[in-house]
Amino acid sequence: MSHGGGESGRLHDKAGHSGKRKSRVSGDEFARAIAKIAVAQLCETVGYQSFQQSALEKLSDVTTWYIRNMGKTAQFYANLAGRTEGNVFDVIQGMEELGLSQGFAGASDVDHCLASSGIVTEIVQYIGKAEDIPFVYSIPPFPVARERKPVQTFFHICEESPAEHIPAWLPAFPDPQTCVQLSAGNEGDAVFNADKIEPARHHLKMDMSSMNLPQHFTTCIGSEGPSSFTFGNSARATQGTESNPFLAAPLQFGEKEVSHLGPPVRLSEEEAVRYPVEQNHIMDNHMSVLETFAPAIEAMKSRFCDSEEGQKKVLLNQRPAVQFKIRVGKNSMAGAPDLSPQKIGIENISEWFGKDSENDDKKRRAEKILKQSIENPSELAQL
Amino acid sequence: MNNMNSSNSQQQQQSSEARHDDDAVLTEFLASLMDYTPTIPDELVEHYLAKSGFQCPDVRLVRLVAVATQKFVADVATDALQQCKARPAPVVKDKRDKQQKEKRLVLTMEDLSKALSEYGVNMKHQEYFADSPSTGMDPASREE
Repeated sequence: MSHGGGESGRLHDKAGHSGKRKSRVSGDEFARAIAKIAVAQLCETVGYQSFQQSALEKLSDVTTWYIRNMGKTAQFYANLAGRTEGNVFDVIQGMEELGLSQGFAGASDVDHCLASSGIVTEIVQYIGKAEDIPFVYSIPPFPVARERKPVQTFFHICEESPAEHIPAWLPAFPDPQTCVQLSAGNEGDAVFNADKIEPARHHLKMDMSSMNLPQHFTTCIGSEGPSSFTFGNSARATQGTESNPFLAAPLQFGEKEVSHLGPPVRLSEEEAVRYPVEQNHIMDNHMSVLETFAPAIEAMKSRFCDSEEGQKKVLLNQRPAVQFKIRVGKNSMAGAPDLSPQKIGIENISEWFGKDSENDDKKRRAEKILKQSIENPSELAQL
Repeated sequence: MNNMNSSNSQQQQQSSEARHDDDAVLTEFLASLMDYTPTIPDELVEHYLAKSGFQCPDVRLVRLVAVATQKFVADVATDALQQCKARPAPVVKDKRDKQQKEKRLVLTMEDLSKALSEYGVNMKHQEYFADSPSTGMDPASREE
């Protein structure tokens, strides 16, 4: 029952101990720590000399649960009486409800007067008996409520709202200059949004612009070349580098609207089959790159036009490119870079097949080695 | 207290007078709460009351809840202490010399769960739950 300096020093120690376990993230660590200290003090008053940490935590949890339940039931009774603010009788009724499992004097009398409730009597008894032991620390009121800075409305700035349908009590638009500067980076689809969305939501804007893109894209999807397959993969890979336009992969020609290309009927049918896959790729891409690569797209377009003499060639172009995609997935990455500039025209196909035979040679050699190793398992064991 | 009891008995006979008495007693009690500082700090109670949705500007009510909570905790702790005292202590044999010197009263999960079960709180405690070794008995040995 003693409350000497040594004891409170021990409490200090325990508080420090609980502070060490901050790694567990919960909302009111501070309140829980205080509850723990208070409960520890109460236990000490009762006569305990020490405690298990888990038991103390449990008891403090139950304590906070009790307080909350008390508030909840009191508020419930206040609301039941048609009030929003509780008064003493609500609290007493709440206490009675929580104390029902224990029982109290006069609990059986349903119509008893709340002012003379047995619960209150018990509390008066308890106060008369218990020592007046204040909490060891003085604590500031918490949680600290910071003053919020309200958003400036049109009315506050003494500014007329730009349009009649916008009432003056709505928050004012941000400085238009900020929006204009930001939108200069990605004009096009995003620009018409720029006035309305504040600059802080820049990313959201970008998303919106990319959401708009698929329909813009469907117009040119029919004229798309086969290279889009390979591009789709590379674009996904370089999505992270988008912030730096110089590191991002070049756009394929199909991402820009191309009107002058007339593909054969058969080809466009083929493309229609592929269409869903294409759109997936498009959705993956962030289309803000589109504007930064306008010159590159132009260049690619012109190159495509140069190489395009007959529609038959387009078809022929298509085959090796598809093959190329498969190769990228496999091991022949080293061969890919020097091949890419040559893939215009039919004669390159033979080169492709040449490469193929080369690769076949390699494969055959690898198989040979495998066979040998299978035939001589003793060698394998040595390995 | 005697005053309250007598007012209780009076209530049956002269209800209106008793009401007045009860009211007076209650007001007096609430006023006396302002002099009494409960161990559970007001700030904590206010915080949790606000969390539960109870709103009242009256500090006396906060005190009342604090006192009620303190009584609850003290009751539970007393019950647990009785459990602890009633239990024979064959638990620690190697530390018997220490035990004989002074039987430490330690708040354990076992006692607490027994005490709380009477208050409608069911507490299940894992068998393998390992409490921190630095708590429980150790502070006692540190002190001695």
